[in-house]
Amino acid sequence: MALVQQIQLQGDSGARGSARRLAGSPALRLVGRRLLAAIPVLLGVTLLTFAVMNALPNDTAQAILGLNASQSSVAALNHQLGLDQPFWSQYWHWLSNVLHGNLGTSVQGASVNHELAVHLPITLELLAYALVVPLVLSIIVAVLAARKPNGIVDRFSMAVSMLGLSVAPYAFAFILIVVFAVQLQWFPVISGSVGTTPFSWLKAMTLPAAAIGFPLFAIYTRLLRADLVEQMQREDYIVTAKAKGVPPWRVLIRHALRNSMFTLITVVGLNLGGLIGAVAIIETVFTVPGIGQDLLNGISNRDVPLIEGIVLVFAVMTVLGNLIADLLYAVLDPRIRYGRSTS
Amino acid sequence: MRTACLAGAAALTLAAAACSSSSNNSSSTSSPSNSGSPSSSSSSAPKAGGSLTVLESSGYSGSWTTLDPAANKEGAATQDFMVAIYGQLFELGPGGKVLPDLATSYEYSTDAKTVTIHLRQGVTFTDGTPFNAAAVVYNWMRDLGPVGIKNGLNPPWLVPMKPAPPPAKNAPPGPPPAEPALPSAFSTPDQYTVVVHQVAPNGAFIDQLFDSIPNWIASPTALQKDPTGFGQNPVGAGPFEVATNVPNSELVVKKNPNYWAKDDNGVQLPYLDAITFKTVGSDEAAYEALLVNQGQVYENMSTNALITQAEQHLQVENNLGTSPYDLQLNTAVPPFNNPKARQAIYAATNFAPILAHIFGNRYPVTQSFTGPGGICYQPKVAGYQNYDPTLAKKLIQETGLDKTTIQLGTIALQTAQESMDALRTEWESLGLHVNIQSWNLQGLIAAFTKDGGKDWQSMVQTAGAYDPAGGIGVGFRFNSHSPFSGVHDPKLDTLLAQASSSPDLSVRCKYYGQAAEYIAQNWYGPFFFTLAPVNVAVHGVSGPGVSTPLPSVAVVPTIPWESVSYNPSSS
Amino acid sequence: MAAPLPDTAFVAAGPLQPLPSLVSSRKLRAQRLGRTLRLWIPAGFLILILALCFLWPLVYTLPSPTNGNIIVAGEPPFSPGAWLGTDQNGVDEFSMLVYGGRVAFEVAAAVTLIGMAIGSVLGVVAGYFGGWVDAVLSRVLDILIAFPALVLALAIAEGLGPSEFHVILALAVFSIPAFGRVTRGATLVLREQPFMIAARLAGTPRWRVLIRHVLPNIMPGILTFSLLGVGIVIILEGALDFLGYGIPQPSASWGSMIANGQQIMTAQPEYVLIPSIMLLIVVAACNLLGDALRERWGLV
Repeated sequence: MALVQQIQLQGDSGARGSARRLAGSPALRLVGRRLLAAIPVLLGVTLLTFAVMNALPNDTAQAILGLNASQSSVAALNHQLGLDQPFWSQYWHWLSNVLHGNLGTSVQGASVNHELAVHLPITLELLAYALVVPLVLSIIVAVLAARKPNGIVDRFSMAVSMLGLSVAPYAFAFILIVVFAVQLQWFPVISGSVGTTPFSWLKAMTLPAAAIGFPLFAIYTRLLRADLVEQMQREDYIVTAKAKGVPPWRVLIRHALRNSMFTLITVVGLNLGGLIGAVAIIETVFTVPGIGQDLLNGISNRDVPLIEGIVLVFAVMTVLGNLIADLLYAVLDPRIRYGRSTS
Repeated sequence: MRTACLAGAAALTLAAAACSSSSNNSSSTSSPSNSGSPSSSSSSAPKAGGSLTVLESSGYSGSWTTLDPAANKEGAATQDFMVAIYGQLFELGPGGKVLPDLATSYEYSTDAKTVTIHLRQGVTFTDGTPFNAAAVVYNWMRDLGPVGIKNGLNPPWLVPMKPAPPPAKNAPPGPPPAEPALPSAFSTPDQYTVVVHQVAPNGAFIDQLFDSIPNWIASPTALQKDPTGFGQNPVGAGPFEVATNVPNSELVVKKNPNYWAKDDNGVQLPYLDAITFKTVGSDEAAYEALLVNQGQVYENMSTNALITQAEQHLQVENNLGTSPYDLQLNTAVPPFNNPKARQAIYAATNFAPILAHIFGNRYPVTQSFTGPGGICYQPKVAGYQNYDPTLAKKLIQETGLDKTTIQLGTIALQTAQESMDALRTEWESLGLHVNIQSWNLQGLIAAFTKDGGKDWQSMVQTAGAYDPAGGIGVGFRFNSHSPFSGVHDPKLDTLLAQASSSPDLSVRCKYYGQAAEYIAQNWYGPFFFTLAPVNVAVHGVSGPGVSTPLPSVAVVPTIPWESVSYNPSSS
Repeated sequence: MAAPLPDTAFVAAGPLQPLPSLVSSRKLRAQRLGRTLRLWIPAGFLILILALCFLWPLVYTLPSPTNGNIIVAGEPPFSPGAWLGTDQNGVDEFSMLVYGGRVAFEVAAAVTLIGMAIGSVLGVVAGYFGGWVDAVLSRVLDILIAFPALVLALAIAEGLGPSEFHVILALAVFSIPAFGRVTRGATLVLREQPFMIAARLAGTPRWRVLIRHVLPNIMPGILTFSLLGVGIVIILEGALDFLGYGIPQPSASWGSMIANGQQIMTAQPEYVLIPSIMLLIVVAACNLLGDALRERWGLV
């Protein structure tokens, strides 16, 4: 079994024994525990962000009002935005607002909720495109590669993966634009407006998704292929299946792949929050109006509520990613589902 | 829009002065235009219909939050949208002529304190309500009033205003209490006349209207009906109305069927059915989009290599610049509180190679804050210290300027950064030590205002506008009260005040000339060259500023979108 | 960037050999040769690049990477005197590549070492001691990983001014939890090995167990992971430079070369291509070396 899973299982051995006797389904307990663990993470991340942003010299009000503003209007705006309050008070305000579902007002005057509502779906759609397509492709390629290790497909896929792992998204994006948008004109240069039909959306989003997704494809392919090959060569049940006369494709897909999906899903989930950097840069390069661009603008505008809101979103995504990965383990792996101890 | 000079009996001397003033700047374009276009589309009748995509740079005009003029913090940067939606009271036309749009004429009183403006009759906003003096005054009061002040708008008017009271110590954050009512500076003797009462003579009033908030008049009825939503769904009397608006990304406007203007041949304006304003990240992105016809117009391209490329494939319109690059020196702190150190900088700086190699020699060198597109253009100033490396070395020795590290900053735009870097290299070759830095707009403001203005030493900026008294003109950089000025000299303040007060252009230009000489004598800051905004378009687009030259008010010309047409087949 | 997660470091990515008894001796020799090449070609390349960036300027004076002569601005590659050309301000492209490489490697080395030192200690402690120590440390590591490194780096650069030191600081915040998780995982696995249990039962003091048994066994995994990490950090550092929040101008860096080059990409694409290709092959070499080492040390 993949090492990752072992690590997960062993990490829980201590507390689980006693907890198991008290509660019902282990999967539910896992969810509960993970959720509880997530809260300090979310608090910690947002507090840290707030602290960092507040440590910076802050001339937000002056910059908003523009170069001609008078001192008194600057002071008034500072007061209005609550920027003259001490740090703890500001954080407490923000936190209590968040718990009521209100993420505050950005220093540009728009409500952060509104900004997120408008821009977040765009980013989420782009991320979905950038995650799902490489995932599907990597499954296909890895299966084909694992069928004949060191064969042509395998070597080719390894080479492409190495390329994807080593390429910098911001450099790759420009190559994509010049080749596919300017020279071949298959895709638009500006991905800003996605049009009304799914086809036009696909056309607009393919290049940005490719820039984000190529390294992801590389990671998934390498991982899956290695896992598959290892299983095919080492695991007893595979040998049994082959001995029974099950055709090799079937063995590969119905047995090895199902088990390898665990690891893959874990990685996909864990990777989620870390994509914030790539998303921000790619959105800027392709002028996609998502929250990555908002984040960069927010940082240069010292727009603390907006930054906090976006950081919160990504932290939630990271935590959710972790949670879903763990859940899938719990649900799919019978060993955890039926709560058998492994230590 | 093609009317020559202001008509009307009342527009006597001043109108004549305005008309003749335009010859003060060279009305002939000194730079090539329309290179590479096979046919001159201005000869045939403009094609009506069709739509256009205009690309807006995200660092400047492509960022907006609201389309409500009084709440508009971006000001002149969003002029494209504002002009399309609201039209203008007065327009700055080709050759520097003041053209009537929603206002037809103006006159100054003899002491230049009172300005009378006549409005066009029979115009309605797109919601059907009438455009009249009451609407204009309502807007102007709003621009000066709580909405405007709350956002820090400070139009360069000379009407006394009471500042907002400082907030109570423990008041909870929230909107400040309503300010007391402002003294009324406007009167409306009849339905279509507005009179402005100023406290000091101001001969630049009309020029200051261009490209600024008060030039854009919104429908009071719509404002009152929906004050908070108006910024996303504005109502004006301009050639277009808003169809969809996604701030910072895309604004689509469609033709206003009831627009008042027709062209010289009686064709109903605007020519275009719709315009899409789309934000792009950089000159390069815009150029690529133009190449594949994903956009048709892009304003203010400054990257020289791309302009050269564009000249081969697209239409490139060189407009006359009005805002020279200047090097501001902070006289309040060392090292530049020492006049000899400032003179050393003048002598150490050679703009010719920068102009040649970064900007392809496109722009004229200037020694004052005026440019060929604006009034009172004076490229050469008596007593200006030119590049002189021998003298520079001597002065550096004398003042010990090489013993300290000079802080040099600018805004984070490609061409500004390249210029700054080139300066640094030049100075370092003479033994100076330079530390360069660049910021976005907010960081730049912080750098200027830090420590009460005593933190920065030198900055590469632009100074000047169509009228030095307006916009980011000369006072902004050289007046002792401006937080963005390195100069605190009451004598210069007086000169500049005199220059803006008279309604007579020749008097004004005389004072501006004296101011330029005074700046040169005191080495307050060398001027580079007047960067002229280049507008790039695909073939087939025609209009002022796009296929024919147009002076800029500040940075870019104000393109009157009703006069722009697009005929793809003519390319 | 999307970094491959620490846990995946342990997955062998190179080809696995079939069991020896089924294979002819000629094939065995070919495999061994292949293995050696896979290790030494990237290793040799990296050594070459390191020598170029750090030693070559000492031997042969390169034109300045920050100050150029504007008279020769914008020269194309293969011009006399500047074999990779010059940029818009006349600065020599090759010099910028070399000195930018210095910065990239310095930052990568510093960040990786910090991560290794601090992160590994945290991870080993968390993994070995378990219980509430593990709970607390894991939460801390989770927070650090969930915290967007980009925001931190930009905020630090905005507030304190950009500098190489600040970049290292910001990236280390991301590197520490990465190493932490890897070592924690490895320690957890190791803890249940028979010899470890034996050591515990024999009453060996804990510090001894950690130093004599745990560390040497997880070292290979950490080293191969750090090679992967070096590649990631180089890309991240380039990203910060690209956004303008990394190494301050006028210092040369690959990321800022790409950012400046993309402004005139259609006019002169070599300004983007040259640093991009350099980035690509350096990171690829690190990754290939990491794979080869993992293969050599038989890490599964």
